[in-house]
Amino acid sequence: MKSSRAWLPRWLTSEHPFPWLLPVTSLLIVFGLYPVLYSLWLSFFKRNPATRKEKFLPSWNWNKLIEDDRVWDAVQVTLTYASIALFLQLALGLAIALLLDSDRKGFGVMRALMTLPLVVPPAVTGMMFLLMYDSSFGVISNSLYALNLLSPSAPILGTGSTALWGVIVADTWQWTPFMVLIMLAGLRALPREPFEAASIDGATALQSFWHLTLPMMSKIIALAVLIRGIDLFRIYDYVKVMTDSGPGTATETLTAYAGTVYFKSANFPYASAVALATLIVVLVTASVFIKIFKVRF
Amino acid sequence: MNKSTLMTTLRYLVSAFIVAVFVFPIAWFGLTSIKPTSAVFNKDKVVVFDFEPTFENYQVTVLGGKKADTASGSNLLMGTSGEGAYDGRSSIASSLIIAISSTFAATVISLFAAYALSRLSFRGSQGYMHWILSQRFLPPIAIIIPLVFIFRDLGLRDTHLGIIIAHTLINIPIALLILKSFFDDVPVEIDQAAMIDGATRFQCFYLVVVPMIKGGIAATAVLCFIFSWTEFLLSLFLTNSIRTIPVKITTFVTSTGSEWGYISALGTAAIIPGFIFILLVQNHLVRGLTMGAIKD
Repeated sequence: MKSSRAWLPRWLTSEHPFPWLLPVTSLLIVFGLYPVLYSLWLSFFKRNPATRKEKFLPSWNWNKLIEDDRVWDAVQVTLTYASIALFLQLALGLAIALLLDSDRKGFGVMRALMTLPLVVPPAVTGMMFLLMYDSSFGVISNSLYALNLLSPSAPILGTGSTALWGVIVADTWQWTPFMVLIMLAGLRALPREPFEAASIDGATALQSFWHLTLPMMSKIIALAVLIRGIDLFRIYDYVKVMTDSGPGTATETLTAYAGTVYFKSANFPYASAVALATLIVVLVTASVFIKIFKVRF
Repeated sequence: MNKSTLMTTLRYLVSAFIVAVFVFPIAWFGLTSIKPTSAVFNKDKVVVFDFEPTFENYQVTVLGGKKADTASGSNLLMGTSGEGAYDGRSSIASSLIIAISSTFAATVISLFAAYALSRLSFRGSQGYMHWILSQRFLPPIAIIIPLVFIFRDLGLRDTHLGIIIAHTLINIPIALLILKSFFDDVPVEIDQAAMIDGATRFQCFYLVVVPMIKGGIAATAVLCFIFSWTEFLLSLFLTNSIRTIPVKITTFVTSTGSEWGYISALGTAAIIPGFIFILLVQNHLVRGLTMGAIKD
């Protein structure tokens, strides 16, 4: 077989990675890399809203971005949202994983049921929670009224101080199972001996959790934080479906703001700049995190 | 009762309660889908079980039946007016076409690249992996604006092929990394033995190694299907008339009211394929969700 293809240059043979990587690489260049560069190029133009003409002025949108209060508000909302949700999901994920990590009857079924939220489309999750939050017939709202924790005059998603929490709860419902699964995998991979030795030496469950479980799981926790943290930073679906950045701009994240600039003012150059700013923040944070915690794929 | 049985019972109770909390929103949504309109919109009290079950919502959204009275009065007042505004059949068809095609495309072309990254060492392979990974972390909003222009110029805007390409694009990094981790599980000696026996590299790939990771390929395909099936942002921006299910559902919410019966019926129907699939890949789920970084 080999000799019949001897006329082929070496880089076209199956011993060379080139032909293997060609389809993926070309697709990613045309529809992945090129759009990012296009976006960058677009962000160098100033758009005149009246004439709809665009003029080459490289610093215009980037200066505007720095001076735009809505961008900084969006950064703040994004960071608040991402850090609260990440903390909740990590803590709950670890706690639930510890609870469900048992070979007793019934726990396997419970672990399987726990994965169900993961396959619900985020837009549908948004709908589920909108239904439950509804101020007149929503089951969550009505339960909170009954407990005197909420007043019908301040609907969850319609009030600036609670709207972000409303979205965080939906996100946490959907993605805590992700953390549970990863933590369970980590717990299952732990060696038994250190724990046996610790319990012989009289360590309490809490002590062995702090001094054995957590340090041995640190790599897996770092990985989970990386994947989830980036997805939280890119959040769009929940905000778009549940609050559409409102009330006012109380739940406007960076990606949501970019979407708003795109849809509502059609200022494509500026929308590109905002979207690219998100990309830059994500990539820089992720690279630093990967370097520090030595995450490997 | 001694202390350890008490602890065991407590653990069961707490676990069951937590699992119930996580299942509740789905159950509530499903329950809403079979409630008559009057029970959904009951402002006096939350109706739980005391209603006559009806499948009218499914008849309208999934089977394209004739619309009954809408909750918010005359349909003409609503944003999504007209016959068939709540008919989800074309959305279901579109979602299926797009998810199946993009899953197939992403899995097949990633299979080649994953094999090369696992087996053929070359300069810059680490850099290449990082590039692939950065694609996974790319916020879709960052490429969506140019993608809209590129698609318009290529005539791909508002076409099935366009979203298939977009979904293939977001699925490639995930599929590639998962498949590479499955290839890494197969000892290199197997390739060497096959090639000593006279197989070419390509024959070794599709006759020997690929059949060995069939389970892994199936798991990858299932995950790609779920990602495409649930994707929202790209479908929203790249289409006007073709509506995938997640986008279609959001059009049922209008400024004058939300058709909760229809929303929950189409939404519940949209969850079912995912449920079946995720049960099939339970064993590889963690590896898939962490893109191969954790093997289970």
